[in-house]
Amino acid sequence: MIRVEGLTKIYGHGPAAVTALNNVSLEIKTGEFVAVMGPSGSGKSTFLNVLGCLERATAGRYYLNEREVSALDEDELAGLRNQQFGFVFQTFNLLPRHNILRNVELPLIYAGTPGKERRERATALLARVGLGHRLKHKPPALSGGEQQRVAIARALINNPAVILADEPTGNLDSKTSYEIMGLFLELHAEGRTIVMVTHEPDIARYAERVLHFLDGAVVREEVSSA
Amino acid sequence: MKAADLIRLTGENLLAHRLRAILTTLGIAIGIAAVIAVVAIGQGGEAVLLSEIEKLGSSRSFNISVDWMRGEAPTVDTFKLEDVAIIKELSPAVDKLAPVTSGMMIAIRRPQSQAKPVLSQLIGTTPDLTAVMNLPLASGRFFSQADVAAHSRVVVLDGALAEMLFPKGDALGKKVFIQDVPATVIGVTEKQTSQLLGAMSMNRYAFAPITFVQELLNTRVIHELDGVAVTDEAVPQAIADCIKILEKRHPGTSVHYTGMSMKEGLALIEKATGVMTLIIGAVAAIALLVGGVGVMNIMLVAVTERTREIGLLMAVGARRRDILQQFLAEAVALCLVGGFFGVLLGAGGAWAIAHFAKWPPLISVWTVLLAFGFASFVGLVFGLYPASRAASFSPAEALRYH
Ligand SMILES: Nc1ncnc2c1ncn2[C@@H]1O[C@H](COP(=O)(O)OP(=O)(O)OP(=O)(O)O)[C@@H](O)[C@H]1O
Ligand SMILES: [Mg+2]
Repeated sequence: MIRVEGLTKIYGHGPAAVTALNNVSLEIKTGEFVAVMGPSGSGKSTFLNVLGCLERATAGRYYLNEREVSALDEDELAGLRNQQFGFVFQTFNLLPRHNILRNVELPLIYAGTPGKERRERATALLARVGLGHRLKHKPPALSGGEQQRVAIARALINNPAVILADEPTGNLDSKTSYEIMGLFLELHAEGRTIVMVTHEPDIARYAERVLHFLDGAVVREEVSSA
Repeated sequence: MKAADLIRLTGENLLAHRLRAILTTLGIAIGIAAVIAVVAIGQGGEAVLLSEIEKLGSSRSFNISVDWMRGEAPTVDTFKLEDVAIIKELSPAVDKLAPVTSGMMIAIRRPQSQAKPVLSQLIGTTPDLTAVMNLPLASGRFFSQADVAAHSRVVVLDGALAEMLFPKGDALGKKVFIQDVPATVIGVTEKQTSQLLGAMSMNRYAFAPITFVQELLNTRVIHELDGVAVTDEAVPQAIADCIKILEKRHPGTSVHYTGMSMKEGLALIEKATGVMTLIIGAVAAIALLVGGVGVMNIMLVAVTERTREIGLLMAVGARRRDILQQFLAEAVALCLVGGFFGVLLGAGGAWAIAHFAKWPPLISVWTVLLAFGFASFVGLVFGLYPASRAASFSPAEALRYH
């Protein structure tokens, strides 16, 4: 599904240059649930952003389904983000001015899906994450855990093959975190590929494989004991 | 993205900052109001001018008087009744020519009436005046050349004057006293001959044979000659001929004969409205510029505030042009809101001006469309920079922004 070779990302130039990713080569199979760990600044988010086509690597190759991603233009990358990936962020990143139904619909709006189908799918997904009764509420009225459920519903709306989550439980208490991980396990069971950055070992345990980053490189890989 | 979705998202975004939106659009509203006023005054003025031409009479008409600008006044020797006949005979360019002796504030009343006399403007002239001024008669007839020759004590009342003297509308054939001299009403004109004259003076007009008026006012002075040239092109020639003949017949005169065509007179009015249009146009331009900069400023603030949101939109599949389009739409929508208030303000203002200047209030669908067109244009121009800035963000960096 995902294969990177010599992936390198350098921010800035000259003496101020920061190497965020240093020659990363690895493969993630379809349906795999991978956790990414490592100290702050080790390049975890950068890695996830490059995988999600939110930014381009400075060097190296990235194949998504055997397709060379670095060769694609901006609009094609936007199309990939829209169709192939679902993002979940630590800070949820919901639009505060629009109700949660509209928030979940958003990717479909850019995909050009008709309004009726959009509403049906968004309503169904919100019901699935347990928020079917709050469609017209705006995000600020929801708790952190509820907001993250909305974000997961949004990530799923385009039925993406890959879920990319950057510290999805970073802002949640442990009980809520486990509930969210329950949802992730469901997605995993559906056969979706999941790459999740986390600082918490007991969250990383939900994954099948853990990649340990240090200074932009994968220094250790372990198969989860769970 | 579909247009309906764009509109809905834009509406939701603007509604979240209602007060900000309304304050921002104030400048645009003033600018658009000024645009409406410019168009309304321009069109209203033009309509008045056009109706003046129709109501005041022929576009071929002209007027010969002394040079008022130099403080001159006509004397008994300035114009003679014979001059008129001679000019008409000698100049092929002159079609009609009417001498005018007029008196201001002339008291006209009904016999045996307790009602107060009505002060009016008495115009002594010849039937040729009907070719110069448009004087449609509601009833009766205008006096004839024979009436002039016979010093007939007859009078044609302006519609407004007739209504004041004879509210029942039975003026025709009745006697009136013009400064205690009895005269018979032989005609009544249709009400209000000229909007412009009506607005400028409260005068009510009475027309009578010049011979009778000169007796009545005990004067031989003719104040001016009003004429009509044979064609539009012949007007300058007609004026020149009149002046040449008058100068020849009155070699010792100290006054300067001056002619003005109806067109020149209207051009003067046109110039005045033109200046007004220019001033308000400048106000419109400045207000739109200031308003546009205000919109740009608030859009730049919005783009900065919503940097992470832009990153998110890109993460879920928005292309650069979607982002550009969305922020442009918000800028245009802001300006359209301003345009809406501006149209209300401008329409109110134009109506007020029309009301007091007695102009037709000219706010057409086209004016409103033009106003909204202007508003959209301002939104596009001043929204472009903030929107393209929003579209230039890298998704990862926008998402990292705090
Ligand atoms: N836009 C940027 N410009 C310059 N340096 C950057 C930029 N983005 C990230 N970096 C640097 O790249 C390195 C890796 O950052 P990254 O966000 O991937 O770390 P991380 O492992 O996700 O850290 P954390 O656990 O704190 O989220 C850091 O040193 C960071 O300062
Ligand atoms: Mg990070």
